[in-house]
Amino acid sequence: MTDLAVDVVKRGKRPSELFARDKLHSSIVAACLSVQTPIRQAELIADTVCNNVLGWLERRPEVKSDDVRRIATKHLTVHHPDAAYLYEHHNIIL
Amino acid sequence: MDILTSLAVITLAALVHSSFQLSVSVLTLLSGHAIGSSRSRSRLVGLTTSFVAGSAIITVLLLSFLAFVLSQLFGNQPPLLLWSVVCGIMLAVGIAVWIFYYRRQKGTSLWIPRGMAEFLRDRTKVTKSSAEAFSLGMTSVVGELLFVIAPLLASALILTTLPPLWQLLGIAIYAVVSLLTLGSVWVLIGSGHKLSEIQQWRESNKYFLQFAAGSALIVLGIFLYVFMVMANSPGGM
Repeated sequence: MTDLAVDVVKRGKRPSELFARDKLHSSIVAACLSVQTPIRQAELIADTVCNNVLGWLERRPEVKSDDVRRIATKHLTVHHPDAAYLYEHHNIIL
Repeated sequence: MDILTSLAVITLAALVHSSFQLSVSVLTLLSGHAIGSSRSRSRLVGLTTSFVAGSAIITVLLLSFLAFVLSQLFGNQPPLLLWSVVCGIMLAVGIAVWIFYYRRQKGTSLWIPRGMAEFLRDRTKVTKSSAEAFSLGMTSVVGELLFVIAPLLASALILTTLPPLWQLLGIAIYAVVSLLTLGSVWVLIGSGHKLSEIQQWRESNKYFLQFAAGSALIVLGIFLYVFMVMANSPGGM
């Protein structure tokens, strides 16, 4: 599936940017690898979660980055709760 | 205060230092990025070892620097006023830790300037070499200086009252004990434990650690005040 023309509003003073599937995919793969998931399995999970998020984004012209993370976490929890925990908490560890 | 009691106080102060969590948080993030970007296990161990080494070195440097400055200014018998000030700082920081060490939200966000937190978060993302990890370890201790200064000051002041060889032992004890928590997390990560389990444990126990650190600082402050100020003041105990 290709990228959608959806603006992602970032937290703080950072400028908005277009939604990028690859970026979401990489971050989910990274979260899965952090909890010792094999690379192939991590990529499959990331594909599934990205497709779910893209489905959610279809009718939305603009979303907050926190919402993308929330929806991705919701779907990731189904496939890998440990990875979902790390993915959700990544910004609130420090 | 005899040598054994002095070393015991330094050990307790180092335990308080050890319970502060900024370095552990940064180490967790650093490991997450290293594993997430498919770096080899030896690379991960190299980065985390350098990080811990950086934390250890800056802790030793800070303690030695403070002890040196204090001994140059006040010799080996610091004035009662200085003891009182340090005890006051310990009580104040202890209460501050009780009230707002962790931010009241999910996760393990700490009450440090957000600019510093953003800086550390951004640096962990781009840290690829051992030298960068080493300096990140140093920075993470400096970033928490607002809290760490209390146990460091108390230990430095006690060190000035010890004979030179015992001072070295005191510094070594402080360095080793203050790294207990960070060292434990380093061992867990190096031995392949899941980061999610480590982070979940930290989040579940964060208020206990906060309460323990604050309480220990307050108890230590009161102990030093009674032992060093009240006992030595004219007409004292």
